[in-house]
Amino acid sequence: MRHFLVMTVFAGLVSIVFGAVAKDTPRDRCIYGLKVFAEFMLIGLVLGWILYFIP
Amino acid sequence: MVKTEKAIERVEPTPALAWLVGLAAWFIPGAGHLMTKHWVRALLMGGSVWLCFFLGLWMGGHMFSLSTGQGSSQLLQVPPMIANLGSGALYIVCYMLDIGFADDLVQAARATYEYGNTFLLIAGLLNYLNMLDAFDIAAGRKP
Repeated sequence: MRHFLVMTVFAGLVSIVFGAVAKDTPRDRCIYGLKVFAEFMLIGLVLGWILYFIP
Repeated sequence: MVKTEKAIERVEPTPALAWLVGLAAWFIPGAGHLMTKHWVRALLMGGSVWLCFFLGLWMGGHMFSLSTGQGSSQLLQVPPMIANLGSGALYIVCYMLDIGFADDLVQAARATYEYGNTFLLIAGLLNYLNMLDAFDIAAGRKP
């Protein structure tokens, strides 16, 4: 399994639960879940690049 | 004369069913939401925990228990064990069948070993969230 795929699956599963637990309306939950997913992916990629330059 | 009014707080007792739902939600991921008839939530939240757990095992992850480690290092097993315990019956069954608890070097050498550990820990922690959510729903504190 590729590392990126693992990270995507992880972010997806966690954001589903976070989205379902938070907020009150289905629309807000979807938006929040997508936001959490995007944050996971973005932070993961940024950290990956930072660590790439650190020996 | 100034009258002061005291706000009277009414604390409603938590119904016994809510505790049962919470316990069921912990023991079998998704069962709590099924009991409260929140089918979509049960599928999404319970399904996420089940998938996370089995992906963790498939990737060669390792679960924690007090039987591993000696002396003070045994104490270090407690926090991750609490996280793993969140998976409920999945953890207990694996413990009884000795699946995912073996400490062997071949498994630890796998590229996905650490990912597996993380998935197993997160499965338990996500199920704690599920449990609290199902409890709140059953107690009438959440729609």
